[in-house]
Amino acid sequence: MKPFLDLFSQNDFSLIAVVLLMPLLGAFVNGVFGRRLGKQAVRMMALSAVGVSFAAAIATFIALDSAVDAAHTAHGEAAHTKLSWLAWEWMRVSGPNGSKIAIDLKFSVDALSGVMMLVVTGVGFLIHVYASEYMREDKGYWRFFCYLNLFIFSMLVLILGDSLPVLFVGWEGVGLCSYLLIGFWYGKLPNAAAGKKAFIANRVGDFGLIVAMFLLVVYCGALDWDGIQRHANDLVVTSDRPGPIHLWPIGGGKFEDYVIAGIRIPLHNLQPDKPWTITAATAVGLMLFLGATGKSAQIPLYVWLPDAMAGPTPVSALIHAATMVTAGIYLVCRLSFVFVLSPAAMIVVAFTGAATALLAATIAVVQNDIKKVLAYSTVSQLGFMVLGVGVGAFTAGFFHVFTHAFFKACLFLGAGSVIHAMHARIHDEERSQDMRNMGGLRRYMPLTYGTFLASTLCIIGFPGTSGFFSKDEILARVLIETPTGVKLANGAAPWQWPSWAPWLLWGMGVVAATLTAFYMMRLVFQTFWGDFRGWTIGRPSQLSKSHHDDHGHAEDEDAEDGDHHHHDDLSQPGPPPHESPRSMTIPLLILAAAAIVAGIFNPAAIKLVVSTFSFLPLEHWLDPVFSDAARGITLADHHTAHTRELVSTFGAFTAFAAGSGLAYWVYVKEKGKPAREMMLKVPRLYKLALEKWRVDEAYDKTVVSGVDALADTAASVDQGIIDFVLARLTALVVAATGTVLRVIQNGVVHVYAAVMVVGVLALGWFFVQPHADFTVVEQDGDYTLQAGPGPGYEFRWYPDATKEPQTKDFSETDNLKVHIADGKSQTVKLEVKNAFGRVGSKAFTITRPAQPAGAAQIREQ
Amino acid sequence: MALAFILSPLLVIGAGALLLMLAEAFGPKHNRTAGLALGCTIVFGAGFAFSVGAWLYGVEDVAEKELIVPWLVIDRFSIFFDGLLCLGGAIAALLAGGYLREHEMERGEFYSLLLFSTVGAMMVASAGDALIVFLGLETMSLGAYALTAFRRTSPRSAEGALKYFLLGSFAAALLLYGFALLYGATGHTDLAGIGEAVRAGGPHKTMIIVALVLVLTGLVFKVSAVPFHMWAPDAYEGAPTPATTYMAAVVKAGAFAMLLRVMLTCFTEKGLMSWSAGWPPVLAWIAVLTMTVANLVAGQQESVKRMLAYSSIAHAGYLLVGVVAAARSMPEATSSVLFYLLTYTVSTAGAFGALILCGRKGAEAVTYEDLAGIGRRHPAAALAFSLFLVSLAGIPPTAGFFGKWFVFRAAMDSGFYLLTIIAFVNSVIGAYYYLRVLVFMYMREPAAGAPVATPMKSGYVAAALILSAVLVLILGIVPSQSLDVAIKAASIFGPPGG
Amino acid sequence: MIGTYLPMFLMIAVAIILALLFFTGATFLGGKLDKTPEKMKPFECGSESSGGNHLKLSVKFYLTAILFVVFDIEAVFIYPWAVQFKNLGWIGLASMFGFLAVVVVALVYVVKKGALEWEN
Repeated sequence: MKPFLDLFSQNDFSLIAVVLLMPLLGAFVNGVFGRRLGKQAVRMMALSAVGVSFAAAIATFIALDSAVDAAHTAHGEAAHTKLSWLAWEWMRVSGPNGSKIAIDLKFSVDALSGVMMLVVTGVGFLIHVYASEYMREDKGYWRFFCYLNLFIFSMLVLILGDSLPVLFVGWEGVGLCSYLLIGFWYGKLPNAAAGKKAFIANRVGDFGLIVAMFLLVVYCGALDWDGIQRHANDLVVTSDRPGPIHLWPIGGGKFEDYVIAGIRIPLHNLQPDKPWTITAATAVGLMLFLGATGKSAQIPLYVWLPDAMAGPTPVSALIHAATMVTAGIYLVCRLSFVFVLSPAAMIVVAFTGAATALLAATIAVVQNDIKKVLAYSTVSQLGFMVLGVGVGAFTAGFFHVFTHAFFKACLFLGAGSVIHAMHARIHDEERSQDMRNMGGLRRYMPLTYGTFLASTLCIIGFPGTSGFFSKDEILARVLIETPTGVKLANGAAPWQWPSWAPWLLWGMGVVAATLTAFYMMRLVFQTFWGDFRGWTIGRPSQLSKSHHDDHGHAEDEDAEDGDHHHHDDLSQPGPPPHESPRSMTIPLLILAAAAIVAGIFNPAAIKLVVSTFSFLPLEHWLDPVFSDAARGITLADHHTAHTRELVSTFGAFTAFAAGSGLAYWVYVKEKGKPAREMMLKVPRLYKLALEKWRVDEAYDKTVVSGVDALADTAASVDQGIIDFVLARLTALVVAATGTVLRVIQNGVVHVYAAVMVVGVLALGWFFVQPHADFTVVEQDGDYTLQAGPGPGYEFRWYPDATKEPQTKDFSETDNLKVHIADGKSQTVKLEVKNAFGRVGSKAFTITRPAQPAGAAQIREQ
Repeated sequence: MALAFILSPLLVIGAGALLLMLAEAFGPKHNRTAGLALGCTIVFGAGFAFSVGAWLYGVEDVAEKELIVPWLVIDRFSIFFDGLLCLGGAIAALLAGGYLREHEMERGEFYSLLLFSTVGAMMVASAGDALIVFLGLETMSLGAYALTAFRRTSPRSAEGALKYFLLGSFAAALLLYGFALLYGATGHTDLAGIGEAVRAGGPHKTMIIVALVLVLTGLVFKVSAVPFHMWAPDAYEGAPTPATTYMAAVVKAGAFAMLLRVMLTCFTEKGLMSWSAGWPPVLAWIAVLTMTVANLVAGQQESVKRMLAYSSIAHAGYLLVGVVAAARSMPEATSSVLFYLLTYTVSTAGAFGALILCGRKGAEAVTYEDLAGIGRRHPAAALAFSLFLVSLAGIPPTAGFFGKWFVFRAAMDSGFYLLTIIAFVNSVIGAYYYLRVLVFMYMREPAAGAPVATPMKSGYVAAALILSAVLVLILGIVPSQSLDVAIKAASIFGPPGG
Repeated sequence: MIGTYLPMFLMIAVAIILALLFFTGATFLGGKLDKTPEKMKPFECGSESSGGNHLKLSVKFYLTAILFVVFDIEAVFIYPWAVQFKNLGWIGLASMFGFLAVVVVALVYVVKKGALEWEN
């Protein structure tokens, strides 16, 4: 790989441009010419764009690898190495203390972003291949691939950006693409609404990211990764400026009693003895994490992700499972050195992750829509990742990102394949995704079933699969690692975690894992095992009357096309579901194989069995990236760690076994009877879980209606005050004056000339008129009066206006000094004579206040 | 040779004008005007290219330029204006190529007059002697008078030209009288010598003050500042639109060059520059009056062309704010005036061009009503028009925003807070009538039975609009290079009082 | 100062006095004006006058006249140049050629445009 490094220097690695710009080119071509190109050409363009990008990404990765090796040899130890490419210097902004912060459009690849880049382009390519078949019949084919390519580009900008602003550009870009793709079938109202919801939830998160950037500019004076890392310690240093952040009183103000009309308002009660402060590191961490909760669908902003499944299934696989939603975890990993400075922020991260994992799992248990189950499973798995990075196990969290990308993409694509098959029978979005209408599909779709099962085994943590290694690693690390922050000589001691926190987190994680195993196996059993229940759906007897009426009309029209006729012939059983075409199954096979074996990159659990085992490529690979963060993490001692790891692995295995065993018993052995019984026994709880704990409704009642009320108020202020008083009234005044002035412009040339003459006379008058004017400067009772000059002006000063002038004649002396004693006042007068011999005068009374250091008070006579 | 090179913009335009005259005279009988618009544009383009060349070549080291001092002073300032005037002239020529043909009034004189008038403007910009100032001014103005009267069948055109001519002669006479008095008081006709003598003082103070009043009147008449603006709306409205473009862009730029050069060279004596009794407060009052009156009246117009005429007066007011600031902090504020002129030239030329584009033979777009609904029927024309109006209103990311930004900032830096606030309020009022055009274009439909404007098809007009639009956007997005040029051009004026 | 301008003042005074003299002389010496229609007619060499007394002239007349004035004045510039011919040297010669070239171009233009053609 030497030639590569020779071709592109490490600091100007322009191959990154190829990785980045190919998808942009694809998006451009498909977006501008796509409508005229035809589907084949669009497909060609989209696939080759991402394919070339993937190839370039591999080349870049290999070059990175050799650069890492070279650095290793040079330094004798693993060093953080990156390849960077500066596109152009974007702007320079003013930083604290008059410094200049350069914000460059610069991209870089290091160990962390290199892996992400490979996942995004690789999985992205497979999903492109799959989608080119899945979307075959769609009218908006070109539009779809334009968005999809644009998404890949934005995601790469997000990953490869070398500073927060560039990352933010990508961050917004993927948000936009997500919005466009969720609402891809914008004709349907729920889809458009889901798109909007995703956008708005993400904006709340973006607010946090922007605030974090502001804080970093103030405290670190840098926004690029290296710069932030260099100045990270400034976030916890206790100095006066900028100092810690005052939460109450806000901004470090002070409450004092306020007296109005003789009534004393005791505001001093609001003043705490000691202001409540947090370190800047905590603030930055929490604000960054707020951004992450938006993108990575964590509590409280997770609500958009399940709705986002309204988009086409490949989109769900690519954006809402494999890549975009991991951006938040990527951000935390990227800025791990900031997070570890604040154990307080870390505990928020960890508990948010665990709670999300648990909450989403409980919802997934009762859902019937196949994509909804997978959506909540995604939220739950993202919770695991966040839990991992929250306890400081950045490698473990990131490893789960990596493995999850494969098996969740495979699961979604498998679900897509199932829906594709079901859709051929049922022309209805909702019912074709309902698991209650499926069953026994393994006979008809063996490839789909095989790959789906493989991925399911991964996600539930079947020993030996990638999911087992990654999830087990996270749970083990929860018990072993604790963020303790960094104690600096000039910084306050960081707040420490309570000792029960790791065990509580671990418990939540294990319960969530059990639930995961249960609902995933439930999904498999209901979809692929048993008998196909789809024979009976669509028959008149099975349909509610109203439902039939809703769709009957449209389907009748459809039926006239002839081709679809047999699908809607409700009296016939219809053809059996069929396996999907090859371009859909091949990506499934590749992804499933990758999902199974991806564990090889970090099989840490093997260490429990073979204590000398040290084949942990990912951990070694990422080590330099997180080495700076390691100083804020405390590991349990070797012996304790080993015991806890054993406990954890045992727990994880039990979770898998219990969950899947229960599912087998309920859905295979008893054919779902216990589930129905439970449903009847606790109908309210069931309903609540089915309705997702009514979180959406709660948001509607509180946040949304609050904003609505605010908007209404603003609108009435706008209409009442701004529109009426400001706009109308001003417009009236302006119009009236304009009409008057217009009268003079009457077209008669004599009047024009007369106005000119008046102008000349006014000019002349100004110069003939003497303008006496002076300024006063005071210093310790000595007042210096400086007269304003004029053409040919001569001056005569009266230090005391009531007495004789200083000189008898006018002279060129244009200043006067007088001394006035404390508390005295004196009137000073200036006379000027201009070139025309006219005399003007001006007098001031200068009063010097009694206080020694008082300022001069000047009153004009 | 170097002398010829730094003089080349002037020579190119002059020679081009003569050649174009001959080309028309010897041209084919049946179609005498064929290619003249293109030729004229090429001459202007060559003038611009030579200006750029001379700028890059640099004038500081050319010793021969002393040969023509004090009659012509070739420095960065004059070369900047050579380029600017050629640019404005080129756009006007392109517009004329489309407009005159469409409205069947194309005659070759138009292009020669454009070029001759520009020669005058360039002379004014590089004049170092009062006589040359006057000569250039008259050359420039005579061309403009004739261009105004070019619509021979229209009484309004003749009326506008006559008013312009009468009042212009009056103002020119005052200016000449002022120069004569200055000669009498100082014994110099060269501007630098006059400035030297005025600073040195002497027995003729009253004479100098009277001369100042007269010269100032003559100068602000040409920039059409209130109360010497009365001719402008009539002349602008009567003239064929490309001629209006030319007057609003080139003649005004030439007049500002003259104003800056004369005021900042001749009247820099401390007393004359005084903020209490000198010419800066007078100019500040004129600026305030100009902005306010022009903006108020512009809002009341029914004709878009007349509105643009008043808008050009209002912009003269903003520019005067910059000139006032220049009296206190010379090169910085002067550079902002130069940059403003650049942005104003492309924006206003584009706006008039878009107005031309929206009309057709027998149905010229003049009033707001004529433009109703054009946004839907002809989106490209409406979009171009909107861009230029937005730039005139000073809204980012267009050139006009940075023009205003730098002028206002220069005024703030010089300490003229009140003046800046007035200018700012005025630019807000100004936005009203610019945006009103947008309202008509995009949100109104033409009244039933009213004549509907259909845009003409002309490569010339399209080229002019594309050129202006590109410049408006470039200056609005990356203004720094052009601003650097303006700063360098303005650096010939030393610090105040010196 | 008065001495410098004395000849001018004298000339003005003489002009005024002379004009007054002629007017008053004519009034006193001439007979009473007899306003017969014949006498009020424009005099055209004894023949019957045709048309009113506001004679309309062709615009071509003015064109020719003004072109004459322009070229006449431009030609006048050659006289001072000729006086200083030796002192001005080659630069003077070149300048005059440049000036004449411009004048010639203008003349050619005038001729080609047909401004001097009286017919048609």
